[in-house]
Amino acid sequence: MMGLTTFGAIMGFAAEMAGKTEEVYKTFVSKAGTQAVREVLQGLAEEEGKNHALMVKARRENVTEMILEPVTGLQQEDYEIALKMPEVMEDAGLLKAALMLEERGKKFFQDASSKVPLPEVGRIFRKAARKKEENLARLQGLALSQTLGNNS
Amino acid sequence: MALRRVKNYINGEWVESKTKEYGDIWCPATGDKIGEVPFSTAEDIDKAVQAAKKAYWEWRCTPPLTRARYFFKLKDLFENAFEDIARTLVTEEGKTLDESRGEVRRMIENVEHATGVTTLMTGYNFEDIAQGIDCTAERQPLGVFGVIAPFNFPAMVPWWFMPYAVVAGNTYVVKPSEQVPMTQTRIFEVIHECGFPEGVINMVHGAKDAVNGLLYHPDIKGISFVGQSSTARYVYKACGETGKRVQSLGGAKNFVLVMPDAEIDRNMPSMITSFYGCAGERCLSGSVLVPVGDVYKELRDKFVAAAKALKVGNGLQEGIQMGPVVSKKHKEKVLGYIEKGIKEGAKLILDGRDIKVDGHPNGYYIGPTIFDEVHPDMTIAKEEIFGPVVSIVHRKNLDEGIKLIESSEYGNAACLYTTNGKTAREFKYRVVASMMGINLGIAAPMSFFPFGGAKGSFFGDIKGHGREVFQFFTDTKVVIQRWT
Repeated sequence: MMGLTTFGAIMGFAAEMAGKTEEVYKTFVSKAGTQAVREVLQGLAEEEGKNHALMVKARRENVTEMILEPVTGLQQEDYEIALKMPEVMEDAGLLKAALMLEERGKKFFQDASSKVPLPEVGRIFRKAARKKEENLARLQGLALSQTLGNNS
Repeated sequence: MALRRVKNYINGEWVESKTKEYGDIWCPATGDKIGEVPFSTAEDIDKAVQAAKKAYWEWRCTPPLTRARYFFKLKDLFENAFEDIARTLVTEEGKTLDESRGEVRRMIENVEHATGVTTLMTGYNFEDIAQGIDCTAERQPLGVFGVIAPFNFPAMVPWWFMPYAVVAGNTYVVKPSEQVPMTQTRIFEVIHECGFPEGVINMVHGAKDAVNGLLYHPDIKGISFVGQSSTARYVYKACGETGKRVQSLGGAKNFVLVMPDAEIDRNMPSMITSFYGCAGERCLSGSVLVPVGDVYKELRDKFVAAAKALKVGNGLQEGIQMGPVVSKKHKEKVLGYIEKGIKEGAKLILDGRDIKVDGHPNGYYIGPTIFDEVHPDMTIAKEEIFGPVVSIVHRKNLDEGIKLIESSEYGNAACLYTTNGKTAREFKYRVVASMMGINLGIAAPMSFFPFGGAKGSFFGDIKGHGREVFQFFTDTKVVIQRWT
């Protein structure tokens, strides 16, 4: 198991997660079949781009030499998702995958917010987790409307 | 990879030293040679001082807020270069990426604090000190100052002093440690980009000749030094002889007392960071762990377990918790202390001497090392080791613990873990050390508080950064006037 045992490792993982998720969402955008789904995924891609920059900035500005203490209880593997990316993907599949990514992000930010002994970074993480929760609600709504649309 | 030979920075230009002597720069993580540093001569120093002297008057006449604006710009440029400076630091010094980022952050915080010059440097006045006579006390810059920096914080230490000196209207010469000259060189590339007037900030690399060149130069008004105590004392004496202002910060032997009522589990990460952060190469590192009373066995066992769990390796790898020591020579010195501890009868309960780091057989690694049953008279309990070696000295009560600290020739930092306010107060009241941590293992003052020790850890009056540092870099001129 790969432990996220330092402040830098946690922030580095958060930045990397945002960067990779942005790339995934960009790919999803190119595969989306409807305008509504495309717009939502485009928004999520942009948000992850901002998240990446925010995590790098938070690491740079909040590192406090005095309390660079070992961190325990966070494992990288718990937040990794191996997404299968077929050539053709229906909107329902894209939304399902996006839901998984947002759920993963929410869990990571919630868990990590209590591990980092820096109030400002904890605040950033909690805010990111709340945003993920909003995204989840939006994606669930969209997935439901897609299902209803397909059924009608 | 081509080896880099660093240059001096004088009068706004990168220049070669006049020397024929060069030293090697090593990567502690790999043991590879990565560059060369000139051992600059007194002539090189003179050139830098003359450039600083020439730049002084115009800079001194520049309004303080205009001077501060250079530092506002510099702060932004440092943010852009942040990661690059941190990685350069890891490469030549060996500490971890997190530690390097923390150090660069502290460097920038000093820039931020120095920009408060318009409130921090003001004088004071009084009307009618006698009938119709008014008096003002005005702070004025003095001329050219210099810093002689140590190896262990190559980015931060010159910035404990330089931004305050320069924003106050002085001009400056930096002499980085010859072991780690690349970090400050990268920082000076940013200074160059910032566009300070020529000669205001200069840098000369080198060793003993460069140090003496600064100490004995007649046009230098004051010196800031950080390093081991024997050299700090030498610098203090030399500045006394030549009539310079001086703030000379020396070594340390820091004691960490743990009371029976301390929250051991909660504070263990903090204790581990105190002793093993920066591989123990910091003047604030814990060196002697003092369990008080019946906490001894529990603390020892938990501390050993936590030390064993530390991930040691190349600091450039994210997640590594302790890097190598700075040089082969320093590694040998630390290993020598371990040998001495064994020879003098201490019980080696965690031996870091034979640590292997995958892929880096030639790196200067020493694993976490712990001696138990250390007697206060043993060498490892008294001398500064500056490595990841912990001595456990058990004391029966707080009074014995404080007496143990009193017996040390040093007085840099001291820490206490307790849940009892009365105990904490007594500790901070009685212990003669200038940086105290209560339930904290690294008592590192931020830029807006003074940094420096007591006893054999500090020679001088005014410490690094904090509000008071402006007094070091200015003269208080009293003007008494009668116009009535």
